[in-house]
Formats: sequence, structure tokens, C-alpha cells
Amino acid sequence: MTMVNSEAAPQKTSAEDYRRSSASLQVLLSNEFGLLTLIIVAATVFAATLPSFTSPFSLFTLSRQIGIDTMIGLSMMAVIVSGGLDLSVGAIGTSAAMAFGFFAERLGISLILCVPAALVFGAMLGGINGWVIVRSGVHSFIITLASLSIFFGVMIYLTKAEAFRNLPLEVTAFGRMKAFGPVSVLLVTTLGVCGGLLVLYRLTRLGREMLAAGANPRAAELSGVPVGRTIIACHMLTGALAAAAGLMLTARTGAAVPSMAGQLGQDWLLPAFLAPVLGGTLLTGGRVSVIGTLLGATFVTVTTSGLLLMRVSEFWVQAVLGFMLLAAVLIDRARHTILRARGMV
Amino acid sequence: MDNRRGLQILNNDWAGPALICLASIIVISVLQPSFLSPFNILVLLSAIAVNMVIALGQLVIIGIGQMNLALGTLGGLVGVCFVGAIEVWGVPTPLAIMMGLGIGALAGMVNGAIIARTGISAFIITLASLQIFKGINLGITKAQPFYGVPDIVKQFGNTAVIGPLPWLILPMLITALGLWYLFRCLRIGRYILAVGGNRQAAELSGIDTVGTVIWAHAISGVLAATAGMMLVARLQIGQPTIGDDWLISSFAAPVIGGASLSGGHVSIAGTFFGVVIIAIITQALVLFSIDPFVVQIVLGGLILWAVGINRFREWRFAKMEAAGVRP
Repeated sequence: MTMVNSEAAPQKTSAEDYRRSSASLQVLLSNEFGLLTLIIVAATVFAATLPSFTSPFSLFTLSRQIGIDTMIGLSMMAVIVSGGLDLSVGAIGTSAAMAFGFFAERLGISLILCVPAALVFGAMLGGINGWVIVRSGVHSFIITLASLSIFFGVMIYLTKAEAFRNLPLEVTAFGRMKAFGPVSVLLVTTLGVCGGLLVLYRLTRLGREMLAAGANPRAAELSGVPVGRTIIACHMLTGALAAAAGLMLTARTGAAVPSMAGQLGQDWLLPAFLAPVLGGTLLTGGRVSVIGTLLGATFVTVTTSGLLLMRVSEFWVQAVLGFMLLAAVLIDRARHTILRARGMV
Repeated sequence: MDNRRGLQILNNDWAGPALICLASIIVISVLQPSFLSPFNILVLLSAIAVNMVIALGQLVIIGIGQMNLALGTLGGLVGVCFVGAIEVWGVPTPLAIMMGLGIGALAGMVNGAIIARTGISAFIITLASLQIFKGINLGITKAQPFYGVPDIVKQFGNTAVIGPLPWLILPMLITALGLWYLFRCLRIGRYILAVGGNRQAAELSGIDTVGTVIWAHAISGVLAATAGMMLVARLQIGQPTIGDDWLISSFAAPVIGGASLSGGHVSIAGTFFGVVIIAIITQALVLFSIDPFVVQIVLGGLILWAVGINRFREWRFAKMEAAGVRP
């Protein structure tokens, strides 16, 4: 898993001269700007050719899907920051949603307590991942591969693969609620979480320590960052966000279903990586783009639903998503080459 | 002298897994004598044969210090293309096999070429190709299986050569011995391990690292294709879901067999015993009618246990080296 980190070596020579003339080009070449353009182009094309694309119902389901996919992307982003990854997000999300179903339906606990309990449960599972990774020093890929199997297996064993279908009515009502116009309240929730993450990474010490630990663990350790604890915190955040995505899916379906993220939760893997990678989060860690992840998930959802409305088979759309991920990383690499050639990185 | 050699054998990658295999076979056959019935051995060996080829497909990529998430979906794609070509186009079986292997090699080479030329992590490239292969597979089949598997292929997947030895053992032996020869005697095998051990050093000593990475992925693709077609023979239909569950077991077997995920080191015998351990445990859970979902938990636990053992061995070797003893 070698990756050339072009961000890590800023060229200091004549940077001042370049800065003024290249600022506009930098903006134009940024992921966020590119994605925004792509989203506008795609949405305009679909709206012009498909009348059903702009119907209130379509816009509602679109906004709901953007909310869920962004949350899945954010959960992976939170751990990519540390330079690791978490294959078990789908398993954690499903497990937390099933725990929520158990609390709400079997134990009849009030929803005000169930939701935080499920989020804490997700954070706990993430924390287990983080603790094992830090203590063993083994790459997060293999540890989360094992834990994905264990979490999902235990969840299926305990629930006997049966869904919780008699959840309190408020759960379904929340999934159908509109905040304003046709915009789903789920998207508004996600936007709130995005705001919280922006504050975390920009303004708080913990957020800056997460970025520092991801960029260069040894340097961070030397400058007094508790790297081990910070990495565990990243994994806990991932777990909590995955749990939030699982709860949002539960609200949409109106039931906590063990197969909500596919076999072993593997169906979340692609959306989880696609959104942050499109948004410009570096897989080597140390750089994060919350807005980019939001825009990345938006672009993917807009394209997917447009293609489905054009009656492209659901199966071929899956192949398109794969090509999209490939194109995203290749364009990103080309962009870095251009920027480096102009001495702007 | 003899004593020391005995200890050295125990230091091999495969010694631990082999001992565990032996112990679990003895324990299970005492508790459940039907475990060693010829039919059960036949079933067990068929499962081992397919899973070994899958694990070897991952082992090559682990050797070069990368990972291949697309192994399963490539195997599934080749499986349905193989049956589809026979059923829809009436392609003769030997030609369809060659075509399947060709698709595997080509897809692997494309993966390898993108990874090696761009320097983007293998994880993300193979995640993209996982999705692409799956989409093409479902687009071709519309999620419905192909049923036109020729009788000779069905027989190959479900009959014994002699006693309890299934025909499926044959491709396993060919691929395992082929890979062993490749890593032992061929230049490309040494190059793969050199690049996996230290890419910069390999590059500086004049090895064509780009070509080596492409080779490794092509070999992995051929192995995935072989395993996909073996599963078609065993299941007797071209299931589009073939390969969906390869990810965890393909990593579990090499890791249990002592492979280090940082690359540069592989053990084919260790991988074999890893595959056998997984097969025995899966079978035992069925024999003792334990919930099949427990298999997932056990598999995850085995990976963690193996990782722990590997770390312990590294730590002990480091300590022995520090004390001036050659391990």
C-alpha cells in the first residue's frame, strides 16, 4: 500500500510569487470546485431530460439518500484521517441499528435514550477496533477484516437474523419527515454532523491532533500528541458515525434489518470510500475535507438516481460506480502532477 | 544436533498450523467417527482444493506487499462468463476454459498496470475493480444463474479420481506446485518477493518493478479465474454470487499460515495448512450441528489469533537476534 504523498513535500522556492497568480487556478483545480461543477452539470442535464427528476417525491428521496450516503462516507473519512481504514463500518452500522431495535422494541426503552445508546454502542465497537490496532501494531486492514467477521457473526447469532419490525411509530415518522420544502430531515441531520466535524477538525485540539497523528505519527508523538489514544478516538468517531448511518437507514426502512448493509456489511464499502476519495481526503491520512465528502456523496447519489430514472439497469449502475471511483483517483493523481509541475503544491 | 534440527522445524511457518491441523483431526475424529468416512473426506478435500486456489491468488499479492479485494468478484465474473460462453455461444469446453483464464489474466494485468503506473494504493484500485467486475457480472446475468454446465464439467467437480481423492485436487496441485516452483526457481518469483520486501531497494538493484507488479496481478487473476471455474464445476451452475464470500477466507488462510502482510515473504505450505484448519473447523461446526453463523465469528477470531502469534514470533526473533542467536 505505497502511495506517493505529494502534499507532504511543499516547495518553498518562489512560493510567494506563485501564490497570487496561482490562487485562482488552485481554486479551479480543487476537488470541491470540480465536484460542485459536476453536480450542477449532472443535475441540470437530468432535470432537463427527465421530468420526474424534479418531482417533489424524487427530490425528497434524493435528499434522504444524500443524507445517508454522506453519513457513511463521513464515518470512513473519520478513520482515513488517521492513515488507517475500517472495513467493518457496515458491520458496526448494522450491529448498532440492531442494538437500537432491541432496546426500542424488546426492552421498550424511550427513544430519547435508545438513540444515544446505539451511538455509544457503535463508538464502543469502533473503540475495540482502535484499541486492538494500537496495541498490536498490525495494520487496520487486517484487524478490521477480522472484526467485521466477528461483529457481524455475533450480531446474526444474537438476533437469529430476524428483523425488528415493530419499532415505535416515531422512527418511521422521522424517516418521512421533511424539514423544509422537499428536503428530508435526514439530510439536515447530516448537515448538522458535517458542521460538528468542521468545528472538530478546525477548532479543537483533539481534531488537530487527529490530523497530526495521521500526517506523521512519529513527529506527532515527538511533539507531545498521544498518538495511540488519538487513533483510538478516530476509530470511536468512525463507529459512532457508522451507527448514525445505521439508525438513519432504520428510520428510512421503518425497521432494523440485519441485511441492511448486505452480506457482512460489505455493501457500504464502496460508498464509504467513494465519497471521501472523490472529496479529496488523502488515503495516507493527515488531510480531510468534510465539505468534499458531502459533495462527493451528493454527486454519487445524483448520478445514481438519474441513471436509474433513465432506466439504466441497477446492475450496470454498480459498474458505473466502480468506474467513478477509478476515474476519481486517476484525476486526483493527474491534478497533483499538474500542480507539482507548476510548483504550486 | 538432532534436537536442534527438530526445533528448527518447529520454527518453520507451517509447523504451528500443521500441528493444529493434526490435533484437531484427532480430536474431532475421536468425538465424531463419521468425520473420517470416505465421503466426508471427499467433501472436505473438495472444499480445501477450491479454497487453496483462492488463497494462493491472494498470497501472490500479499507477497508483493499489496492486497487484492477484487479476487472474489473476478472469480465470479469468470465463472459466469465460462458457463455463459458454453450455454449462449456454444463454445467448446476447453476453449471456454482458456477464455476464462485469459479474462482472469487480462483483468489482473489491467489492475496491476494501473496500480504500478500511478502509484495509487492497491486497496483503492481493487475496490474500484471489485465493483466494476460485480456490475458487469450482474449486468450480464441479470442476477440469474446460467444452468448450461456441460456434464463433463459437473463430473469433474463432483467425482473422485481414486478413493476419497476428488478430481478438484488436480488444479489445486498444479497451481500450488507451479507457484512453489515460481517462488523457488524462477526469476519473476524472486522479483515479486524482492519488490514486496523493499520496493525502493528492488528498483535500485535494477528490477523492473512495474512489470513485476503487473505479473503478480496477472498470476492472481489467473488463480481467481481457476477458482471461479472450479466452483462452477462443484456447484454445477454458473451462480452470479460466486466469489461474494472469498474476501475474508482469502486473507485468513495466508495469515494463519504465517504470511506477513507487509510483503516479501510467502509460505505455500503454511497457506495450505491455513486452508485445512478453516475447512476442518467449518466442517466440525456442521458435524456438531452448531449454528453456521458461528463460522464467521470463529474465522474472525482465527485471524486475530494468527496475527497475535505472528507478532509474538517477530518479537521473539528480534529478541534472539539482539542476544546474538541466529534464529
